[in-house]
Amino acid sequence: MPETFSEPAARVYAVVYRVLYWGMLISTALFTLGVLRALQHPRMISLGPALSQSLGTTLRGLAALDPASLMLAATVVLILTPVARVVMALLAFWRDGDAGFVAVTGVVLGVIVLTVILGRLGLH
Amino acid sequence: MAVLFAVSVIAGFLGALLGVGGGIFIVPALVLAFHLPIKIAVAASLVSVIATSNAGGSSYVEQHITNLRLGMFLEVATTIGALSGSVLALYLKEWVMLVLFTALLLYMAVSAYVTRYADDRRIAAGGYCQAQADNWSHRLRLNGSYHDHALNRQVDYVVTGSGIGTGIAYLAGMASGLLGVGGGVLKVSAMNRYMNVPMKAAVGTSKMMIGVTAAVGSILFYMAGLIHFFIVAPVALGTTVGATVGTWVMNRLRTVVLKRIFAALMFYLAYGMLAKAVAERFHLILPSLGS
Repeated sequence: MPETFSEPAARVYAVVYRVLYWGMLISTALFTLGVLRALQHPRMISLGPALSQSLGTTLRGLAALDPASLMLAATVVLILTPVARVVMALLAFWRDGDAGFVAVTGVVLGVIVLTVILGRLGLH
Repeated sequence: MAVLFAVSVIAGFLGALLGVGGGIFIVPALVLAFHLPIKIAVAASLVSVIATSNAGGSSYVEQHITNLRLGMFLEVATTIGALSGSVLALYLKEWVMLVLFTALLLYMAVSAYVTRYADDRRIAAGGYCQAQADNWSHRLRLNGSYHDHALNRQVDYVVTGSGIGTGIAYLAGMASGLLGVGGGVLKVSAMNRYMNVPMKAAVGTSKMMIGVTAAVGSILFYMAGLIHFFIVAPVALGTTVGATVGTWVMNRLRTVVLKRIFAALMFYLAYGMLAKAVAERFHLILPSLGS
């Protein structure tokens, strides 16, 4: 029988929608602000290793509306949005006692964690 | 930066008209017009793929067109594919990546001529709900249902072919991580052709999946120092704007004409990428077509 929209299924849809929607909104706002600020103060960029800065520097940069910090934050929010969507779906499946899909989303999260570990090991 | 934004708007617009992400146009544009190394272009394109996935995907999820269970099941294969693809990308030579991207463009150009399936007739005949679910589909309750506003009816479907679908999802993930595209064309055709998923549900499910697939590649490229925020920001923003406008315009244009134009455009881009690969590997300059 085709899947019908039981209360738990509808709940997972609502959770996923909210995460994608807010992630899109926040990252678009930060990107827009960052691009506008960068256009106000144009500068040459290097194609060497990309900028990396500490959390403290980024937070101070955000407060000062520094374009690089705004774009960095927007990129991080954007990349983390689908990851957050997987985490929230996993929690919703857990709450509904859907063991099969807790395992499926758990494997996807495992691949993401493995990616971070490989990145930390300096795979380049 | 303003030029990068404008080019990305056009790429996102063209991608949406053809029903694909902007990545297939963004990477050649950054390589051929802005002379960026392909790895930096792929990294920027991957981030823009997430942006279009969040924007388009959320809309399909809200309308319950996306099959969340099927999407999450296939994400296991696409994320593993994306991880292997992006690891490969970090090690491959520039000219090899250019040749692979040329092959993808040629595949897209040819597939633009393939006729779309008579989805409406199949729905009307009840073809999607008469199939036999396979073992995985049955166990994980992958079957789906959505309301089709154009047909004004509920469309139920039984998911089959989980094995072949998973295999193609892995390849799509690999293409995403390696070449900075969403891989939506591969996933949508696999779901529609081999897994008995109606076109709209396949598109909605694919839109959601490409976000997490591209996120895996993006994380690796980010940690490898290949994501340049001053390039990524106008590209992500421009692609989102272009894709939003393109989706709106798409429903008002004739598909046949569009497909011919896009096939020609992709042949043109394929030639440009191949010429760059030949120049990189053999130091030979092929005749320019103006790119």
